[in-house]
Amino acid sequence: MKVSLKNFLTAILAFLVPIISTLVLILILFIPRDNSYWNFLRQAPFYAGIYFWQSQRPDIFTFFSAFILGVLADVFGSTPLGINIISFLVLYMIATQISQHFNVKRFSYSWLLFSASTLLTLFFKAAIVSGAYRHFIPLNLLAIEWLLIVASYPLFARIYIWTERRYIHLEERYEKVQS
Amino acid sequence: MKRQRVLFLKENYVLRVLKNFMVAGLFAIALLLILVHKIDLGVISGVSKTVLYITAPIIHTITLPAEGLSIAYKKTSEIMRVYQENERLKKQNTQLFLLKDRMKALKAENRLLKNLLHHFDTPDISSRTARVIAETGDAFANALILYLSKDADQIKPGYIVVDQHGLVGRIELVSGKYARVTLITNINSKIPVIAQKSRDRGILTGNNSNELKLIFTPLLAELNPGDILVTSGVGGGLPPDIPVARIKKIGIDSITAQPLFTPSKIEIVKILFYDATPSAHDLKELE
Repeated sequence: MKVSLKNFLTAILAFLVPIISTLVLILILFIPRDNSYWNFLRQAPFYAGIYFWQSQRPDIFTFFSAFILGVLADVFGSTPLGINIISFLVLYMIATQISQHFNVKRFSYSWLLFSASTLLTLFFKAAIVSGAYRHFIPLNLLAIEWLLIVASYPLFARIYIWTERRYIHLEERYEKVQS
Repeated sequence: MKRQRVLFLKENYVLRVLKNFMVAGLFAIALLLILVHKIDLGVISGVSKTVLYITAPIIHTITLPAEGLSIAYKKTSEIMRVYQENERLKKQNTQLFLLKDRMKALKAENRLLKNLLHHFDTPDISSRTARVIAETGDAFANALILYLSKDADQIKPGYIVVDQHGLVGRIELVSGKYARVTLITNINSKIPVIAQKSRDRGILTGNNSNELKLIFTPLLAELNPGDILVTSGVGGGLPPDIPVARIKKIGIDSITAQPLFTPSKIEIVKILFYDATPSAHDLKELE
């Protein structure tokens, strides 16, 4: 298959769309609010993004994208570099397994599987952080973070669906024109 | 209709094996990064500095409109409350005059007592103020991002950050005109403290929540809820007598304390130029 420059650039741009859309959501969530739980929500677009893009568009969302989002999460969340990277790779692997073994059509099932995946990932992340600092992360904080991530999934998924329809379907139209 | 994979090459056996190797490689890189961060070789701080240098101005720009709205709201409410505020200030002013006289007497008495005890004050520490532009606290880390404006080059990691109530944290990273502060509530924060009343010592540890735990206290410590804990100065990492937290609850096997600040409400902080690390000359002498 001969890859034209235009096709190659489209591929690169499509590869960047999940990362940029997640980054924009994170930056919006940086608007200051007098509520400490607001900060807990800042991790939600990452989890929702990785799960959504991996399950919906694995062709443009690779493990390398999860790695980049991990680096960004570590920087924005002030956690030691590597902790979010490894947990996002774990979430990516879980999402890959889910999309291989389940044919999820209904959103409610997808939401349920997302909540289970994030729970596993958060426990994994808490284990690493607790191991690194030799100090357990309080379970109530983990529970709050998990609940907020799960509760906000429909909203972020809706935004990602819109982004996918608005920007990435263009390349399919382009393919149709070509054929 | 099944969506076609149009962007990347279709997977074959070789690509799949290569992909698995790359995933394993990325896992290894992540683990290595955690280890390097733990050992603190300076490589990670270099990377973090660069990334903070790029991201902090973006965050700052994003927060500016919200900050502007917040200031406008505060100013409007202040104007609306100006009459009551004036009455309150008049009363306060009368009280302050009385206090001023009392303070003068106490100051003179204090000077006499200090001379008797051969007490010496902590040397004056120069300081700079900085504006908080973002708070990045969740279950896994608690930090603030500061905008340093001028004299940013004088600020070094390890310097102490305080607000009007007391200790907030320490500078972790400085990059350009921005700095990251690790809060005392962060999981890796451990502060030697002393109870202001009973003078019982202990270590105050964070766990990423808004409560701190007081450990290593004497068995017969006379601590009560409401007691203020201040820095003890033990170890030389922090100057003594900076208020840190207030004891909240005393249980059978644990003592919890509450920091004196609310992270989401801090707007301006003071950075104290207190460097505990010995200078190159001192190190040479020690060797």
